[in-house]
Amino acid sequence: MPPVISPDKCLRCGLCADICPLEVFGCRPAKNEMPTVRYPDECWHCNVCALDCPAGAITLRHPISHMILHVDSPFLKNSGQGGPHAAD
Amino acid sequence: MLPIKEILDADVVIAGGGIGGLMAAVAAARAGASTVVLEKAHTKRSGSGAGGNDHFACYIPEVHGDLATAREAILGSLVGGDQDRDVLDASLMRSREVVDMWHSWGINMKPRGDWLFEGHAFPGRPRAFLKYDGSNQKKVLTAQALRAGAVIVNHSPVLELLPVPGGMGGVLALDTSEEKPSFRIVRAKAVILATGNPCRLFVSANTPGLMFNIGVCPACTGESIAQFWRVGGALVGMDRGYRHAGPRYSSRCGKATWLGVYRYPDGSPIGPFTTVPSRETSDITGDIWNSSFSDLMVNGTGPAIMDCGGASEDDLKHMLWAMGCEGLTGFLAQMKQEGVDPGRHGVVFGQYEPHGIRGIEINPETGTNLPGVYAVGDHVGNFRTNIGGAAVFGLISGEQAASYAAGASPCQDVENSPWARERMAYYSTFAGRSSGATWQECNHAIQQILTDFAAPGPHKVRSASLLKSGLKFIGDMRRRVDAELCTPTAHELMRASETLAIMDMGEIMIRCALERKESRGNMQRSDYPFTNPMLNGQFIRIVNGENGPEISWRPIHR
Repeated sequence: MPPVISPDKCLRCGLCADICPLEVFGCRPAKNEMPTVRYPDECWHCNVCALDCPAGAITLRHPISHMILHVDSPFLKNSGQGGPHAAD
Repeated sequence: MLPIKEILDADVVIAGGGIGGLMAAVAAARAGASTVVLEKAHTKRSGSGAGGNDHFACYIPEVHGDLATAREAILGSLVGGDQDRDVLDASLMRSREVVDMWHSWGINMKPRGDWLFEGHAFPGRPRAFLKYDGSNQKKVLTAQALRAGAVIVNHSPVLELLPVPGGMGGVLALDTSEEKPSFRIVRAKAVILATGNPCRLFVSANTPGLMFNIGVCPACTGESIAQFWRVGGALVGMDRGYRHAGPRYSSRCGKATWLGVYRYPDGSPIGPFTTVPSRETSDITGDIWNSSFSDLMVNGTGPAIMDCGGASEDDLKHMLWAMGCEGLTGFLAQMKQEGVDPGRHGVVFGQYEPHGIRGIEINPETGTNLPGVYAVGDHVGNFRTNIGGAAVFGLISGEQAASYAAGASPCQDVENSPWARERMAYYSTFAGRSSGATWQECNHAIQQILTDFAAPGPHKVRSASLLKSGLKFIGDMRRRVDAELCTPTAHELMRASETLAIMDMGEIMIRCALERKESRGNMQRSDYPFTNPMLNGQFIRIVNGENGPEISWRPIHR
């Protein structure tokens, strides 16, 4: 369920549903209704719903399947600046 | 039959409201043509440039001197040499004009105060990619198109081109603004195709079960290529497929914005071009040894790591700012949430699934082999400079289409043509079924077949045996799709129409791959394991003729 809408903050304006490039909210909801994430598998995590929400009511939840694989910087590790995990 | 919600009349109709489509709308409307843009989502935030971009290929005389310098910088970059020089030059000649236009409209083309060319570059060599802040580009271009007088219809993807004898009569589109699907017809004398990169042909490399986790916008499936093909349009280079690279497992193109060094896990650099992070050039290894990310996994020395460690605070700040310009705000938020600090951590990079098989053949005025049809943007087959090219040719196509429309006769009744009725009946069948196959099933099915039987390399081969088998299995699949596909909502019918286009493009790709009896680049034939010098500088061209696909070779224009 990538975009998470805060019901307390949502203005029910429907802007997110209108501008989502992937239409994950489906059609624009009826007036005064909060959008729902209708097609979560189609989210591209582009973040424009969160950027454009006039109330700042949307955050993106990034699925575990999309986790960013990372390690301590090899360069810093070799130069002795690798931080707490440098010895791993 | 699904109802026709609306019939609009226009001189020029534009399929796709991305960078190319919106620039075309500005130019056509300014030239006095009544102009309609049909956009699948919403032009303010659609496509691969939805959140922004930060590299604009262009020729700035005071930076490059002569045009040849900019041209050579582009031909030597990741966008490569397989493009018609006359078309590339036509784009570069007017690129400064478009850069100035954008800057005057409020898209910041000099966000650091002066011309700044960064990324996709060799140390000490000329550069062609202008750093700009595209984070507001779609909103600005939408406002300019409206100001020029164009009509924008959002939530209305084009389904088919509707030719008439001797020219073009308009397009058939879908309306997805409501739950129940309906058709929209735009009668028009000229059509500009601008639907972007074809994606979703191959299984997602990062997350095989999740087809929308890909490097570029998954709503861009290049449907115009298939629609153009169905009515006799000429395509070039369709056997190719570029594999971008970027972070694992969160797919997002934009690797040139990363200023670090590609390293083995032990810290040694993968390529010979740079050993320290550089914001000016980034590490060109990722462009010219594109398969390195996969090679390191196959030979066991990987994974390949993008390491910005050692970069100055200033450079890191610059990189994160540039990622914002490029529309990577979602990825920036994800890094923060997951505790990834690019100054302290190396990020594993991998190759993504192939996308951007080539497409529509255009001339330097963006015209095609079909009178009244113009094409711009990432689905063009014989030219590629991404955003910059889409913007400049958008402008040119709008001027050309408006001029053509001024001399063409209107078509009164295109919605009743046999082709229009046949296609409306075809799409209505899927919407009329109460149960059956989902579009996702069909999309997964074509992805599986193409990935198994026709994928470009590295570490994949094509052969007559595999390709012919793939063609057979696509045929089998088509029969089932036609018999079982069921689309209860307008949204699902839209995704299904994309999938049908992908099936057409997959079949075209295989036919062209069969024609290439050699190995070249990432197109490896196990039955022809050599590169044939007689095929240097040649495009494969394919047209859907009266007696079926007609394939030929033609020289790339030098």
